[in-house]
Amino acid sequence: MSKNATSTISGTAAGRSIGTKSAKGSVPAALRQVAMAVISVGSLLLVWHLMSKYVFNKVLIASPEETFSTAWEMLVNGELFRHVGVSLLRVVIGYFIGCFIGIFLGALIGRIRLVRELADPVLELIRPISPVAIVPLAMLWFGIGEMSKYFVILYATTIVMVLNTAAGVARAPLTRIRAARCLGANEYQVFIKVTFPSAIPFILTGMRVALGFSFMGIVAAELIGAREGIGFLIMNSRQLMNTEQLFVGLMSLGVVGAVLDRVFRYLLDRYTRRYMQFQREV
Amino acid sequence: MSGLHQEGGNSNAWSVLSIRNVRKSYVDTQQNLYTAITDISVSIHRGDFYCLLGPSGCGKSTLLNLIAGFEDVTTGSIAFSTGDATSEVPISGPGVDRAMIFQDVNDSLFPWLDTEENVAFGPKLHGVSRAVYESQLLAYLKMVGLDRHSHKFPFELSGGMRQRVQIARALIMEPQMLLMDEPFAALDAITKRLLQRELIRIWRETHKTVVYVTHDIVEALLLGTRVAVMTAGPAARIKQEVSIDLKSPRDPTNADFVELTKRLEGLLDEEVKNSRGAEA
Repeated sequence: MSKNATSTISGTAAGRSIGTKSAKGSVPAALRQVAMAVISVGSLLLVWHLMSKYVFNKVLIASPEETFSTAWEMLVNGELFRHVGVSLLRVVIGYFIGCFIGIFLGALIGRIRLVRELADPVLELIRPISPVAIVPLAMLWFGIGEMSKYFVILYATTIVMVLNTAAGVARAPLTRIRAARCLGANEYQVFIKVTFPSAIPFILTGMRVALGFSFMGIVAAELIGAREGIGFLIMNSRQLMNTEQLFVGLMSLGVVGAVLDRVFRYLLDRYTRRYMQFQREV
Repeated sequence: MSGLHQEGGNSNAWSVLSIRNVRKSYVDTQQNLYTAITDISVSIHRGDFYCLLGPSGCGKSTLLNLIAGFEDVTTGSIAFSTGDATSEVPISGPGVDRAMIFQDVNDSLFPWLDTEENVAFGPKLHGVSRAVYESQLLAYLKMVGLDRHSHKFPFELSGGMRQRVQIARALIMEPQMLLMDEPFAALDAITKRLLQRELIRIWRETHKTVVYVTHDIVEALLLGTRVAVMTAGPAARIKQEVSIDLKSPRDPTNADFVELTKRLEGLLDEEVKNSRGAEA
């Protein structure tokens, strides 16, 4: 259980939870994990049910039963898939372009001292400006079309990736770089074969954090100006006083976010293990 | 593996590494000039096991970094030569002819590569195909006793094993010199003793020239053919050079060994006292 707890609670400290073996130890441990998950989610549903039935007005809290039946309807008629799909597509496009740009800029900043010295003050000023705060500007520049959504996610992702990549590249151990120099590596080879691989744990951790940021950004952008997407679904439900649908929107955000994070961790564990595993002992 | 030696053009002819009047100074953040070592003149002969012995912070590692080419001398020169002054080839930057073995057991290997890949890093870098380097790879893994651990990653290896990987990774490049910066200082006493013995064996088998930095008198006497005792820094110099002519295998309880130990202890004690006096 302790393993499971670390992996969820220290969500952003990806370095620790990535890499660690997922609990495939003994059967009782796995059973225990499933049991705990059932109890945990079950309690949430129970509290939710009681709240909606005995404490709050129906208009304020939709009951779990109503929420699930609304969700089922929306699944069957395809509406939920449409909104989730639209949001996901926006995130994917902005996220991948943002990762690419962020890693490239971050590598430059981390590697070249002059660039770092020039970029640092600017980054310090930009860092506190959250993706949510960028939404109005994106609307002003790009209107309510897709471009403004991409821009918000691109912004969210790029900032995180620049900072993490730069930190990783700048912190590549001098000893390791010197070892490569002794083996005959030139500057370019040192960067490609030593400095950059040394930064990969930082970069992957950044990618996971950036994915979370992207979701915050996309919902904010869709709340303000969109015709589809999870954010639109939530905002539209509020305007229609359709509390059940609003709850479906929130629930799908939670589910999609959690699933994506799981998938991300699975892919890391499977394909980037050799870069992450040495973090275990650190 | 002769194809690897394009860079170290001086590789075969030299008989001496001449270090002449070397001084290394740094400017610190307050713009103060700090001289780490000064007036260092040493001749390291081919096949020597040359130990630099001194109190901590005396600039032994600075000198080794200069020989490795990681840093440049402030004044003076470091050059390979055949013996007469006209034939000198000054070192410039790091090269495959001088391989460094670092003290750091965590950061000196490439943690995303397994043992075999770490050792093959150099040959691969120079575009040598596996068919060409494979026999050396296996031979050197065996020489350092890692042939059964070739697919383990560094995090799965003990500190001593990681230092073995470093040694194999250096040897496969067939360098002229091994520069060793307190390579066993972070290891436990038993592992340390074991690796010291193996290092002597490897040194005999490969006929490498070794420059070995240590602050451990017994280690210097177990390994070295010559020991240079350094003064305490700043502006450290070589206080005295001692030729070690003990019969092998060397035994720390042997009377000659004990006598040399006392002599070196005496030299070092003076330095420690001097530096304390300077601080007080």
